[in-house]
Amino acid sequence: MSDEKLNNPGIEIPPELSNQIAVTTLDKIYNWSRAKSLWPMMFGLACCAIEMIITASSRFDFSRFGMEVMRPSPRQADVMLVSGTVTKKMIPQIVRLYNQMSEPRYVLAMGACASGGGPFKEGYNVVSGVDKFIPVDIYVPGCPPTPQALLHGLIMLTKKIETEKLSEAEWYKKDFNEEIPVPILGPDLIDPRKYDVIKNHTFNEDPFIDGGLVIDQKQGEQS
Amino acid sequence: MAITGLIKGLGITLKHFIETYTVDLKDGKKRYNTPEGIKERSSADTKGIFTVQYPFEKVPVPEAFRYIPFLVFDESESGEKDIRCTSCGICAKVCPPQCIWITRSVNPETGKPVPKPAKFFIDIDICMNCGLCAEFCPFEAIRMDHDYEISSFNRFDHHIYDLDKLLKPAKYYAKIHPKQYAEEEAARIEKEAKKAAAKATKPA
Ligand code: SF4
Ligand code: SF4
Ligand code: SF4
Repeated sequence: MSDEKLNNPGIEIPPELSNQIAVTTLDKIYNWSRAKSLWPMMFGLACCAIEMIITASSRFDFSRFGMEVMRPSPRQADVMLVSGTVTKKMIPQIVRLYNQMSEPRYVLAMGACASGGGPFKEGYNVVSGVDKFIPVDIYVPGCPPTPQALLHGLIMLTKKIETEKLSEAEWYKKDFNEEIPVPILGPDLIDPRKYDVIKNHTFNEDPFIDGGLVIDQKQGEQS
Repeated sequence: MAITGLIKGLGITLKHFIETYTVDLKDGKKRYNTPEGIKERSSADTKGIFTVQYPFEKVPVPEAFRYIPFLVFDESESGEKDIRCTSCGICAKVCPPQCIWITRSVNPETGKPVPKPAKFFIDIDICMNCGLCAEFCPFEAIRMDHDYEISSFNRFDHHIYDLDKLLKPAKYYAKIHPKQYAEEEAARIEKEAKKAAAKATKPA
């Protein structure tokens, strides 16, 4: 335990009591306890998952950072490691799992596929970047990222957590509701948040012209 | 039957646990944070704990390790940067996920293109570390980096690398790829010598 970090600077602790007590703020202890006990959710998607498994096993061993066990249930997990290619078939499940995780929750996009589509960025069946659907907190580049690169990403995530403030934590606000509408997989993927745009496209005579643009043109003709 | 297997397995765990302490006592401090220590703990007949204590010690990467590409520049004696890249665009064409964008410089007076990149972007969150760009570049201008500690919070602010972030001196390249650098230098010197010899024999 690094008590220099936890100790609030400015308050002197008598030498005989050092290492036994720490004076700190609520924010610090809240963030410290959260950052040092991040539990990842146990699921892997593609080749990157193999690197994630190595990171979890004893050679690199992320339980050294308090990521003690991978939780198979989203209810008990704090961080979701999106490790690999997110296919259109998988994204409804990922969004659902994300919705089931309890706040505060974090997402780490591991590898080129999860961050931006990677080698399959224009694939017919691949979502180019999981951040199109769920908010990503940290991006780890690489294809696949080596275990040490992933550990670096996780350490960066704990640094991010340490900057948060209890008073600004939105998940304790009353009207907080961060449920993400689950995408619908038909012949192609439909994002419910884009219904309006899709509607505009569908009811236009020329489906390739954006709704707004056509209206502007008509107004131009009238005037 | 199952019970004996269980006890055997627990016995191995216990052995590892005890050995961690005995080996640590025997080897002392040099077991951690030293290259020999890491090598010893990576070998097959190591005893005790073999975890790499990552942020404090790192596994050395082999020379052929590939992460994100970078652009090499030569430094002249006066300290000017001489970018090796001629913006020929071969790397952008061969890149499988198409994550390189290049704009060629234009001479502002004559309006003619100059063989230097004005802009060079690599989206490192798309790059699949294949190394084809480095393989195909005819000017030895783009090479694979060994720095893997580049994760960050914002993809579009930090992970679209521009010239500033991509350019690294040839010294750095020589440091991380010593063998390849020496080979390329030898080939270059040989080629130049041949050229000079051809020039010398021509007028005669
Ligand atoms: S980033 Fe590369 S290693 Fe990771 S899932 Fe995609 S293709 Fe596989
Ligand atoms: S890096 Fe090499 S291949 Fe790419 S544009 Fe420059 S000179 Fe051409
Ligand atoms: S390493 Fe491969 S994917 Fe990355 S920029 Fe070079 S060619 Fe493109």
